[in-house]
Amino acid sequence: MREKIAIGLSVVAAALLAYNLYQMFMVLPDEALQGAIYRILFFHAPAAMVGMVGYFVALAFSVLYLTGKNFLYDSLAASVIEVSLVFSIINLVTGSLWGRIIWGIWWTWDARLTSALVCVLIFFGYLMMRRAVDEPTQRARLSSALCIFGCVDVVIVYKSIDWFRTQHPGPVLDFRTGGGKMDPAMANIFWLNFLAILLMAIALVLVRTRQESTAREIDSLRRLAHAAA
Amino acid sequence: MRTVKHALLIARKDLAVELRTKESLNAAGAFAIVILVLFSFAFDPGPEEVREIGGGLLWLVFLFAGALVFNRSFARELPNDCLDTLLASPLSAGSLLVGKAFANFVMLLAIDLVSLVVFGIFFNVNWTRHVWELGVVFALGTWGISILGAVFGALTVDLRLRELMLPVIIYPLLIPLLIAAIELTKLLLSNGPPSPSDFLWAKMLIVFDVVFTALALALADTILVN
Amino acid sequence: MDARNFTFMFYGFLAAWLIVLLYVIALARRGARLKKELDEVKKITGQIEQHADRS
Repeated sequence: MREKIAIGLSVVAAALLAYNLYQMFMVLPDEALQGAIYRILFFHAPAAMVGMVGYFVALAFSVLYLTGKNFLYDSLAASVIEVSLVFSIINLVTGSLWGRIIWGIWWTWDARLTSALVCVLIFFGYLMMRRAVDEPTQRARLSSALCIFGCVDVVIVYKSIDWFRTQHPGPVLDFRTGGGKMDPAMANIFWLNFLAILLMAIALVLVRTRQESTAREIDSLRRLAHAAA
Repeated sequence: MRTVKHALLIARKDLAVELRTKESLNAAGAFAIVILVLFSFAFDPGPEEVREIGGGLLWLVFLFAGALVFNRSFARELPNDCLDTLLASPLSAGSLLVGKAFANFVMLLAIDLVSLVVFGIFFNVNWTRHVWELGVVFALGTWGISILGAVFGALTVDLRLRELMLPVIIYPLLIPLLIAAIELTKLLLSNGPPSPSDFLWAKMLIVFDVVFTALALALADTILVN
Repeated sequence: MDARNFTFMFYGFLAAWLIVLLYVIALARRGARLKKELDEVKKITGQIEQHADRS
């Protein structure tokens, strides 16, 4: 059942993406100030949003695990964080390439970029720690605690770097150069692409969660085999 | 009130053990001095540059030396099932956690002070002008490091890669605290007039400490499970 | 300048899709490995149950 949903979501996402790509390249004109490269925005920003939302969804699942001790929530939290991490990395890489052309630099230490990087570091540590723990209950407990601390920290990190960097002004940083108002045709494609990426992310989370459940099943069968033998 | 009393009991025990062997203190202290020496080769800062980077330098030293301290804090309870005994005792998980954090805090603060003195000598920095304010900043920053070190030290106590994992997990979480502490230390070392943003940093330090101590106490029973 | 603009746009799309592709491949490989392990362990526990039934 879950597999069918995942496949269904992937198909819808693929169709949306195909439509969007056609629109992006064949229909929409180049942006006045940025040229062709603004099209990266259609992947860069949705990936960032999906990543950020994902971390807080994982926070909810972690809290649910701690209150209910149901391993499904732990699997969901870990899967969501892994997929969010993938999209956060896409966010950083595409942003860097965009920045090289528009700002002339690969990287800058402004609030948004730095807190995105810190997010990636925190949740990469989360995934590394999960791999280091074999016992499922301990792993779930550790992961939930780290996720809660991590998400609370992300909020504080963003605020603090915002303060820090406004004391040391850098290049004017808003990838929506042009003041934040997008042409309606572009905005349409933007939100459609966001939907496509969101559906893709959900499909990946479903597949990953299924794998976590399988891993737990293998673990319990192994214990059974050891006990009986 | 009982929690505080129990926490102080645990802290006193840890400090007594540490003072007898001095293993963490010696290692961390030596490490701090070595890093300061290496920094002087790596950056060779003049007086102007020291004012700029001094704060950052000091807090990096505290962080790296601190890792040696909080790595040991729960790990030293593993032999002879001491940790299980502590968890089975009537002490609440919260008091155990805060007690350990407080012991870390005292040890780290000692390392901080030694590092500050050595830093002053190596780089010709006069830090005595605002020594009490500096002490407050050190205390607030070090408490943040200690409480997170205690929480994640407890969570990772029986992992085989604990020494590697602990810094990797804790350092990104400490970034806001570090920024605030570094800015304030820079100000206090350079003797400049405080600006409004500096009060923001002080607020940030306090908020960080309060939020994470509260979170640690709230999740203490999850973190320390028998 | 325009050519560079297009090139980087291409790199951007390539990077995004490559990362997704690599992740999907990693997922697929992990899935296959897990399935194999599951089948193996099920076989072992099946054998143990047969032994238990017989004795």
